[in-house]
Amino acid sequence: MATDAALAGYDPLFEHRARLAACVLLAEHDEVSFARFKQWLDMTDGNLGAQLRKLEKAGYVSLRREFQARKPITWYRLSSSGRAALNNHLQHLQIIISRVQSRPPT
Amino acid sequence: MTDLDHLKANLDFVQTAIKRGRNDMGAAPIYYLWAILIAIGFSLPDFAPRAALPFWTVAGISGGLLSAWLAHRYGKRMGVHDAKTGWRQGMHWLASGIAIGIAMLTIATGKVAPETGAPLLLALVGQAYLLAGIHIHPPLRWSGAVMLASAVALVWLRIPYLWTGIGLVVAAALVAGGIAAQRAARH
Repeated sequence: MATDAALAGYDPLFEHRARLAACVLLAEHDEVSFARFKQWLDMTDGNLGAQLRKLEKAGYVSLRREFQARKPITWYRLSSSGRAALNNHLQHLQIIISRVQSRPPT
Repeated sequence: MTDLDHLKANLDFVQTAIKRGRNDMGAAPIYYLWAILIAIGFSLPDFAPRAALPFWTVAGISGGLLSAWLAHRYGKRMGVHDAKTGWRQGMHWLASGIAIGIAMLTIATGKVAPETGAPLLLALVGQAYLLAGIHIHPPLRWSGAVMLASAVALVWLRIPYLWTGIGLVVAAALVAGGIAAQRAARH
């Protein structure tokens, strides 16, 4: 059933809000730098780096490094498998939300 | 905290991040560049009418190319690459530029009298800015609204240095937009 398939779309990797937000932002923008993520997500270098590494290890994001005025810049991009996983997870969340909303008030 | 509270907190966090990501008002130097070009170009019909068309032909094309370069540099500096958005913005200004160029051509070739064509030309530019403000960078709405109101004024008012006045008001609106963009980029 479609609903069961969507419920199966739950991805534990998106349980952490920073990882979910990073992938949602990458779904909207082609590439985002580490510094920009840090500002948008309001996180420390260490915490953000750890969360992005997990996404990279899972193959959900790819990265490339370049130098601008001798400063290294890391750019992140959502991979096709990351986009598919995010879409499945968002569908899963939508089902949960619609179920909660249709629940009769206690 | 229940699972639902946790989920809600997570989604609020994502929503805040998305809002920050969408709070882009564009590159401030582009606002300042066009403020200068418009202040000069709009004063030409009052002081050197023959120079207006050559000025806008050169300034329109070179200003457009310079704006594209500034926008690309701004994207790199801000840490966001967005090819789809860049393409959409480029197409908006290219299509507007072509329409404005056609209107200028009809005036330059004498097909349309300058007094008739000028308000239409300004209305076309105003529409391009207003739509850019609605769909791309919000501060451009004010410059567009000023131009559209000025196009109406041009139909009925015959006062000296009207074009210069319009140019200065539009330039002031663009400078205000540039300041807003600079502030947004800092946050």
